[in-house]
Amino acid sequence: MENTKKFADTAQYIVISMGDEQFGIDIKYIDNIVKMQHITRVPNVASYIKGVINLRGEVLPVMSLRLKMGLEADVTTKNTRIIILRLEQYGMIGIIVDEVKEVLTLEETCIEKVASDSKEDRDGFVFAVGKCEDGLVSLLDLNAVALEKE
Amino acid sequence: MDVSQYLEIFIDETKEHLQSLNTQILELEQNPENMDTINEVFRAAHSLKGMAGTMGYKRMQNLTHDMENVFSEVRNGHIKVNASMIDCLFQCLDALDEYLGNIQESGDEGTNDNELLIKDLNAMLDGGAQKAEDKKEEVKAEAPVSDISKEKWKNIPLGDAENHVLAEAAKQGKNIIGLTVYVQESCILKAARAFLVFKALEDLGEIIVSNPSAQDIEDEKFDFEFSIIMIADCDAKKAIDAASYVSEIHEVVGSIMTPPTYEETEEVKEEAKEETVATQTVQEAPAAKKEAKAPAATAVAEKKGKPVVNRTVRVDIEKLDVLMNLVSELIIAKNSLVSATNAEGAVNVGVNEHIEYLESVTTNLHESVMKVRMVPIESVVNKFPRMIRDLQKKLGKKMELYMSGEETELDRTVVDEIGDPLMHLLRNSADHGLESAAVRKERGKPEVGSIFLNAYQEGNNVVIEVRDDGNGIDVDAVRAKAIERGTITEEQAESMSEKEIINLLFLPSFSTAKQVSDVSGRGVGLDVVRSKIESLSGEVEVKSKLGVGSTWIIRLPLTLAIIQALMVVVGGEKYAISLGSIQTIEDISPADIKFVQSKEVITLRGNVIPLVRLNKVLGIESTKKEDENLIAVIVKKGDKQAGLIIDELMGQQEIVIKSLGKYINKSKEISGATILGDGEVALILDTNALL
Repeated sequence: MENTKKFADTAQYIVISMGDEQFGIDIKYIDNIVKMQHITRVPNVASYIKGVINLRGEVLPVMSLRLKMGLEADVTTKNTRIIILRLEQYGMIGIIVDEVKEVLTLEETCIEKVASDSKEDRDGFVFAVGKCEDGLVSLLDLNAVALEKE
Repeated sequence: MDVSQYLEIFIDETKEHLQSLNTQILELEQNPENMDTINEVFRAAHSLKGMAGTMGYKRMQNLTHDMENVFSEVRNGHIKVNASMIDCLFQCLDALDEYLGNIQESGDEGTNDNELLIKDLNAMLDGGAQKAEDKKEEVKAEAPVSDISKEKWKNIPLGDAENHVLAEAAKQGKNIIGLTVYVQESCILKAARAFLVFKALEDLGEIIVSNPSAQDIEDEKFDFEFSIIMIADCDAKKAIDAASYVSEIHEVVGSIMTPPTYEETEEVKEEAKEETVATQTVQEAPAAKKEAKAPAATAVAEKKGKPVVNRTVRVDIEKLDVLMNLVSELIIAKNSLVSATNAEGAVNVGVNEHIEYLESVTTNLHESVMKVRMVPIESVVNKFPRMIRDLQKKLGKKMELYMSGEETELDRTVVDEIGDPLMHLLRNSADHGLESAAVRKERGKPEVGSIFLNAYQEGNNVVIEVRDDGNGIDVDAVRAKAIERGTITEEQAESMSEKEIINLLFLPSFSTAKQVSDVSGRGVGLDVVRSKIESLSGEVEVKSKLGVGSTWIIRLPLTLAIIQALMVVVGGEKYAISLGSIQTIEDISPADIKFVQSKEVITLRGNVIPLVRLNKVLGIESTKKEDENLIAVIVKKGDKQAGLIIDELMGQQEIVIKSLGKYINKSKEISGATILGDGEVALILDTNALL
């Protein structure tokens, strides 16, 4: 009983870094994490969509989280990863991140929702902030990230 | 009994039977005396009734039962087929179709009892009954003779124990019922049917003994009949009804039986009573007997005609998809092998041989899997003669539908979707296209208008044409309407060609019919047709001549998943172009390029072909220098052509089409993607969008 209660109140997040900031992605949306690979450019689509990749026989779109957030373009390093998300509304999408750091278990009490009035800038992609020993992690609202917007 | 697992089969088979009924009744309208057709109709109605009954759809069963009664009377020559009867029967089919629709959606048949239809059907029967009266006399006279030999239950050997039980039951005032059940000789699962009969009877009372034994029946160790003695509270009629309620039961004979310990004299008296009960059996009994008498004759007749029902193996489309995916992967694996050997310079000739072998195997496998998915468009177009017949009555115009190429095959998914667009086009032709009989006469055309539906294969495409010899499209009327609606300005109208004007008809909510009718004219037709066809990666085109008629041409790709493609390179990126749309590949010197309306064109064998610089469309730098010769891939769509300028040719390859997913659907020039041998993704160019 004790255990199940603990489970219900916690959520696991993958912590990624983008520049100086750390972001958390709810693990239940993550299908896979793959290394950077060749991306086939798709012409005439929004600039943040980098193109498509082949993931074990399936063709998946890949977008740049940096461009979507209005940061400078990605520089591929050996730490660059593509996180494959499985979203109800859009299906499978890959997002490019600078680095994947760790898996973080956060208790409900450590998650603080942020006000939703600042949807305009890149804070609009963050729905809550999680507090952990290493500091603060911005938790990403993936549907907002995937939303088609220049 | 849980029947949900049979629901799919039921729906499929009901559809087949309904279609067969539709066709046969149409046939009957033309040839009211054709016994073969009547038999076929009767059989279909009977099977429908049985299936509906088994599945527990009571309303459907009631309706089909009454229809069957009518057919049965027709078959016995008691009533004649007439126009009002055909109309009523068609209404019944529509009602059944509605039931089926409800079942398909919710698993429930709905609450429409269709009492009016049933009343009509019964009225028909009553009309026939008068005439039938005298004939029945004869039937009655001969019935008992044949029945006695049929009442095989009388021959069941009874042991002491059974005799005792029966006598006991008789004392308690229960009825002892003897039954002999005849299963249809075409029945495949005799034991299952027998089981259902047993089950039905056990609801009424207790089965004391059966011949052959219950175990033997279960093991299917019996011919086509079995006998039962049971005790029940109800009368023999009820038991007979219950048993014949089960489908594929040919006939049930039975009556109240006297307990064996009773005196002989009494039994004789009883027997007289029995006989009258027996003649009442089920309504179809006399008819069935007649059929039994002449089985040889009907068998011969059946062989003469073409097989009425398609013999099919039903395969779950999902299983096929899995198979298809596996084949796709095999092809990708083959492609990687090919590219691997190419990269290493292919020193080993043996490997190449094996690859060629693998290639031929995968190609054959692919073809046969595709063939399994192919179904003739017959299943869709079969309903159209009926539709035209109805339209004829509704519109008050005379018309005839001529169909050809029903056997043309298309991918199952395409066939399922193509019905609605075709129906729209046919309705359109019937309503807008064909003139009324008076006008036709005036114009010197035959009074009966003709609508043609032709299907045929053309290269990698299947073409379906809907043609009528009606009025054709009045381009001026369309132009005026477009201006009036503000779709185009007058200046635009001036510069538009006839073809462009006609294409305006495909815009949403554009209808030129002066009067909105029930059939068409709401302007929701043609744009739906076009979007549907385009969603199947096909195209629709119209050719029309005022006063002579119009032709609507639908082109659909033969296969959807795997195609032959030409791989090209543009600015270092690889793209695939479907081989089906490519006409030729040309080498062009920059000096040959001319300008028309400041657009680049070339003249090729007398045709002026516009050029499309793919690197510009795709937003990438070309790797070629200005003065180098250009490679142009000449593609066509309908009678339009264009030359796509590329940098490099890679060669022909079989590619597996993958969707780009829901997320990227904005890119108009790209119709999909494919995975190359080296695992890289290449995009497939949609040539239709580039024209």
